[in-house]
Amino acid sequence: MRLYSLALAVLAALVWSNTSMGQTSAKAHVKPDDWQAYKSHFVDTSGRVIDDANGKISHSESQGYGLLLAYLANSKADFDLIWSFTRTEFLLRDDGLAVWKWDPNSKPHVTDSNNASDGDILIAYALTLAGSGWNRNDLTATAKTMIRAIGKANVIEAQKQLLLLPGVTGFSAADREDGPVINLSYWIFEVFPKFAALDQATDWNRLGKDGLSLIDVARGGPRSLPADWISARTVFKPAKGFPPEFGYNALRIPLYMMRAGVTDRAQLEPLRQGMSPDGTNVAIVDIPSGTATETLTDPGYTIIPALVDCVLDKKKLPESVRSFRPTLYYPSTLHLLSLSFVYGQHPECL
Amino acid sequence: MKKSTLLILPIIAAFAGVAAVQLDYVPALATTNGSVRPAMPESGDPAQDAQAQDGYVVVQSGRAPKTQAPKPAAPAPGAAPAPKVDETALRYFARQGDKRRLEAEIARLRALYPGWTPPDDPTSVAPQADTALDAMWKLYAAGKLPELRKAIQERQTSEPGWKPPADMLQLVELAESREQLINASDLKQYDTVIRIGSSHNSLLTCSDVDVLWRVAEAFAKTDRAARAKDAYGYILDNCTKPEERLATVQKALPLLSRTDLDVLLAREKTNKDGGKEFDSIRNDLARKAVADAGSDPKLAVSPADMSRVEKLANDIVEPSDPLILGWYYLRRNDPVSAEKWFRLSHDRENAASSSQGLALAMIAQSRPAEAEATIYEWRDSSDGAKAVYMAAVANLLAQDPPVEIAPAILQRMVPEVMMAKDANAAQQLGWYAYLLNQFETASGWFSTALLWKPDDEPSSYGLVLTREQLGDTAGVADIQRRWAGKSDRIARLGELRNTRQRGLVPSPERFGTDTLTATQPTTNPGATLPQDGSGVAATPLSTTLAPTLADRVAETIARTRATQPQNSQYQTEPLQPAPEPRRTRSLQQTTVNTGQRASRGCTTTIDPQTLSPDRAVTRGWCLMDMNRPLEAAAAFERGLLSRSEAAKSDAAYGQSLAYLRAGLADKAAVAASKARQRQSRQIELDTALLASRATDSFTAGRYNEALLALDQRARIAPERNDLMVLRGYAYLNLNRLSDAQRVFEAVAATGSKDGLRGMATVRAIRNKEY
Repeated sequence: MRLYSLALAVLAALVWSNTSMGQTSAKAHVKPDDWQAYKSHFVDTSGRVIDDANGKISHSESQGYGLLLAYLANSKADFDLIWSFTRTEFLLRDDGLAVWKWDPNSKPHVTDSNNASDGDILIAYALTLAGSGWNRNDLTATAKTMIRAIGKANVIEAQKQLLLLPGVTGFSAADREDGPVINLSYWIFEVFPKFAALDQATDWNRLGKDGLSLIDVARGGPRSLPADWISARTVFKPAKGFPPEFGYNALRIPLYMMRAGVTDRAQLEPLRQGMSPDGTNVAIVDIPSGTATETLTDPGYTIIPALVDCVLDKKKLPESVRSFRPTLYYPSTLHLLSLSFVYGQHPECL
Repeated sequence: MKKSTLLILPIIAAFAGVAAVQLDYVPALATTNGSVRPAMPESGDPAQDAQAQDGYVVVQSGRAPKTQAPKPAAPAPGAAPAPKVDETALRYFARQGDKRRLEAEIARLRALYPGWTPPDDPTSVAPQADTALDAMWKLYAAGKLPELRKAIQERQTSEPGWKPPADMLQLVELAESREQLINASDLKQYDTVIRIGSSHNSLLTCSDVDVLWRVAEAFAKTDRAARAKDAYGYILDNCTKPEERLATVQKALPLLSRTDLDVLLAREKTNKDGGKEFDSIRNDLARKAVADAGSDPKLAVSPADMSRVEKLANDIVEPSDPLILGWYYLRRNDPVSAEKWFRLSHDRENAASSSQGLALAMIAQSRPAEAEATIYEWRDSSDGAKAVYMAAVANLLAQDPPVEIAPAILQRMVPEVMMAKDANAAQQLGWYAYLLNQFETASGWFSTALLWKPDDEPSSYGLVLTREQLGDTAGVADIQRRWAGKSDRIARLGELRNTRQRGLVPSPERFGTDTLTATQPTTNPGATLPQDGSGVAATPLSTTLAPTLADRVAETIARTRATQPQNSQYQTEPLQPAPEPRRTRSLQQTTVNTGQRASRGCTTTIDPQTLSPDRAVTRGWCLMDMNRPLEAAAAFERGLLSRSEAAKSDAAYGQSLAYLRAGLADKAAVAASKARQRQSRQIELDTALLASRATDSFTAGRYNEALLALDQRARIAPERNDLMVLRGYAYLNLNRLSDAQRVFEAVAATGSKDGLRGMATVRAIRNKEY
């Protein structure tokens, strides 16, 4: 059974990487009003993208999302605003990657020089898109350097798979007893073909395909969901020191898959079933017991299973998720990324 | 100027293998030293004039009038036409009176366009009507770079065809890079610092010396000392502000070798008053050289540095400089000079550090009594001071020929030995008593030493000799059995004696007790001296002091055997080790006990209940002296009935100490609470009780309780090494490996083998785990 689904996954991945990626276009898919609303809540005048649920800190992820959304909203001015801050405050590491955390309440604001590879990927991706979409060679050049650095420092091969380490330090087999530890929601599948076009030092397409197949391998428990943090040392299982749950990280996996053009029912259906026990809301699920420890009703979360229905069954999106109203940074970000996907690829679901 | 250009270029080019150092950037490094020569502004507009004056008055002070201002050289025939230089930023800063940015901009443009000359009057152009552009420059001046970026883009969108001045784009890029460089530098991302510095030569100017410092630091921190030296040298060659020049050398101080620093110092200027601008730094350097040599005897100090520090020590009436010299000479086995300097420091301020040094110098000159007197008052100031005190005690006791130690001194030494649980000092007390033919007391001390250090051969040897003197053949046999195969001299006790009887006294080495450790502190006294800064390690002061005692014992044995084994004719002053210094009993006992051992006040067995409470207390202390703690406890129990609060307190104190010595911590705690105690005594008891409780809990496998007791104790007294080791093993048993590692490292840093052993254990466990 597992073998079968793995084969399917690989097949799907092949199809996906060869065709769908061309669909992402530089056209504005985040509506100006929505962007304006997002900006007024989560972007300050200095270009800092604020995680208001986490002590108003910023991180490489929030800066990356901000850049990506500014690009999708076709706002060059806001892109430059956020980029200026990101470059001077985050792109500090000797290896060319971004530091992960910026705290307004500490001095200096950056106290920890570690990176987070999803933040690095988001920043490099936004630079890549803006570089080609707006003919900005300076952005493309920086994107290239970053992509090369991400591959060099964060991509490893283990168990015949290419894996993305969540950070340069703290996750590898040498750093942890149960290492390497991975986070499948750090695979932002839509970026890999773009990265492959700019950098040949890392096999980015293979990284994407391997990641896609790992989602099936990593699923477990009564609800058959992957955990946020997974030990890839031997048999894939929830990593030590993290709650063994399908949580705030993993819930964006189906969104990333769909944005990258995955339409395979065998892959999307189980995630949709697992993550939404009542069919509408999204659950944080304790993997071993399969119980929902939290139920999320923010439209930024509930739009994700609805999006699967749209992609697989052409179901229209429920009213509750169609319009954007800023709530908190993270669900609002996911909401805009989801809406931009619907506007661009599935207007029939509106 | 030319020279410095050549100098910095290889620095920059070598950083990151960036070959992209454009030649037209080179002059930036040579010419941008902040001296700008704009001429007097001349304008018909008084308002503008005033503004310009404000902005310029400092910049151009003493400059030539307009007519003499440097003019752009007429282009030579056939030369390339002068490039069009964008002066908008320059003019904006001039109008704003922003002198610092104006200077920087002029420097930057000069670097970019070598033939370019600043306009005579940057304010002369009528203010631009372009208020939007002005607003942008305002953002730039306020350092709001992301907002400026945004404003540029917004205008380009709203006004298709509009282009920002090229100048502005360059400046904002440069300013962003500067921010990035500084943030990276704060985060110790030195490769990033060098990468940005190498690709932005315009940042490396005297008008922004902080950036130059950070780049130089990044070189030094990435093992490119020569580049760092060149970068600092560049500043000294080109930049003129005195405070920045001084700061430059100060920043280089911890990062460069002395040789490199001397190269930098050679570029110093002479002040108007004839002084050298880096004199203060030369002083600090000399101090550091001497201090370093004080902790590492392999380091040589130049005669110039030596005499500079000696002059400073004499001229400046402060304790710190002579202290540096003291440690230096002590480390160089010149205790006479060391004493001279320590004494000078000590005379200026009686402090723990100078007292420690002075005591060590005295010990090294075989004057342990003076050492004891000097360090006594500081003994509790640090572990290092305690170690020095114990060394003084051990050496004092180990003197040859044995000297009479004043009862008061002996009495204050004993509780220190007890509290420190210093096995070596206890052993020396044993030998001291032995030499005075106080064999029971000697036996008590050797036993005590063995309690603290069970595998101590010299103490076992002392004990076996003592037991023999006391005719305890079973006891002798017991020790011999336990040391069978491990100590030749214990095994061959009888033979040795026979040899000696024949007049063949073995060499002192044969008796080689653990004397080296007896004569030097086990911890590093210098390490605890902040004002010394040199981290002076304890010198092996004298390896010849202590063996003589054992030697002496050998003689005594020979003599006593030769005459009468049980004769007490060689007895001199009785040794009265006691755990409590201020005590009237000592006087009484001195009078009571002047002679024979047999006549001591408490050798007979008396039921304490038959004594008056006060007499019972006296007897209790006497029994403590005999190291018969359980009997002493009973005597003190009787003493608790005294009507005098002071005597009751005394009795409770004595009983608590007695139970502690007997290893009955719980009873000791109860006893301590039977009467109010002076605070110092209370602390003393609490400290000992908690240590005892920690040990008991540990032995019983209750590690968390052991840690709890140690933590409580640490709040009232510094943690001794042996307790830190205990703490380490408690962590280890609780599988708190990192904590154990940290503790053992700290212990090991004092030079303790126990610490190293602990670290090895942690390592072994870790290796097995992974």
